[in-house]
Amino acid sequence: MFKFTFEDMVITFLQRLLWLVALVAAQMMVFNYVHILGYATPMPYVYLLLLFPLGTQRWTILLWGFCCGLLCDIVSLTTGVGAGAMTVAAFIQPPLLTLLAPKDAVEDMQPSFAAMDFWPYVRYAAVVTFVFTAVYFLLQSFNFFHIVDLAISFLSSWLLTLLICVAIEGVRGGRSSKNIKM
Amino acid sequence: MRSLLDFIVRYYHWLLFIVLEGISLVLLFRFNHYQSSVWLTTANTVVGRVDSWQQQAMRYVNLGVENEELMRRNMVLEYNISQLQQRLTELTHDSSYTELRQAERYDSLRLIPAHITTNSVLRRNNFLTIDRGEQDGVQSEMGVVCGTGIVGIVYMTSAHYAIVMPLLNSRSHISCRLRGTGYFGYLKWDGRHPLYAVLDDIPRHARSHVGDIVETSGFSSVFPSGIFVGKVSAIENSDDGLSYKLRVHLGTDFSRLENVAVVAQQFQPEVRALEERADSLNISE
Repeated sequence: MFKFTFEDMVITFLQRLLWLVALVAAQMMVFNYVHILGYATPMPYVYLLLLFPLGTQRWTILLWGFCCGLLCDIVSLTTGVGAGAMTVAAFIQPPLLTLLAPKDAVEDMQPSFAAMDFWPYVRYAAVVTFVFTAVYFLLQSFNFFHIVDLAISFLSSWLLTLLICVAIEGVRGGRSSKNIKM
Repeated sequence: MRSLLDFIVRYYHWLLFIVLEGISLVLLFRFNHYQSSVWLTTANTVVGRVDSWQQQAMRYVNLGVENEELMRRNMVLEYNISQLQQRLTELTHDSSYTELRQAERYDSLRLIPAHITTNSVLRRNNFLTIDRGEQDGVQSEMGVVCGTGIVGIVYMTSAHYAIVMPLLNSRSHISCRLRGTGYFGYLKWDGRHPLYAVLDDIPRHARSHVGDIVETSGFSSVFPSGIFVGKVSAIENSDDGLSYKLRVHLGTDFSRLENVAVVAQQFQPEVRALEERADSLNISE
């Protein structure tokens, strides 16, 4: 059983906080203005959930996810939608990561290309972003009257979000070789 | 309590998830008009449907009580209908001459209406009980009549009830006469058919025919004269051969008797006192 010192915990907290602020700021200033063909809107702040390592307490992920979603709701004027979607995604993240992690993974494995290989990571990211985007659009539309438009918005936003998350992970992966760990 | 704590510790992430989702949904419905209206509409529909199911279930559960209430109500209505039908029949009945005359006779008397509570026609000495007693002005030896003729004589009274000795009692002797001739005799019941009685002591020179009307003679303080009793259905010789014995078809069907009236004659107490005085002097011997 691995143990964190208080210093490790503070550093980890500050790193997560930094990621949260950066992702929310990016969402507020950049991604909220992206509406490709009026359908696809990326929401890469879900990337915060992809960062949590194997064995993280579930309440930690739930609270971080909820707070991140709520902050994005506040800056995007979509109160409750992002928070609800992030909470659901945060709820499925631990069992999903346990399921998709390599058999020989260390017990505090940080999800990344290096730790999981490319496609397993993409699969992991795809499921988390899929659940998040699906719940997000369900809560936002709250009906199925325009199901085709809803499906197009959902699929395009999901793929765009996944693409951006993988891209961020790609950029971060290059730096993780320098052993930066969250 | 410990099991509950163990459960919470084990599944705390579920509880936290539910709480956070709850907060998210509250925020969603609180600050988003569209979602709020859809939620309220859906919630109202669901609540309405559940209420409807609950109402249906409760109605089904309460069917027993409602059934009893309906049955009780039905009985009351049935009773009211029978009363009204009876009253309607009385009011729309094409009265015969006898009945009209009977009604005229009754108009001049003080009648105390009463209902029969117990009745019998199968014994040799039958009695009726009526729901009027001394507090209603009923006294013993008062006559009892109904719309179709005489019934009997009050035999015994209490505060609220009275026992009547009807014609269908072997000890009943009522003075009657043939209408139009004035010949009189005593009406008795032979204990056979409840619709027939016997008028004894009609003189042989009296010309009587089948169909003649028998009415009260008025020779006592019990019944006034002229109240319909029945019609002569057969003429026979008496046992000693000195008089006729008339078989009378009674106007009153005792087996269907329900409503009667006690005849209160104005001077009956005075007449009775006089008769008792005469009896005490033995002037008849």
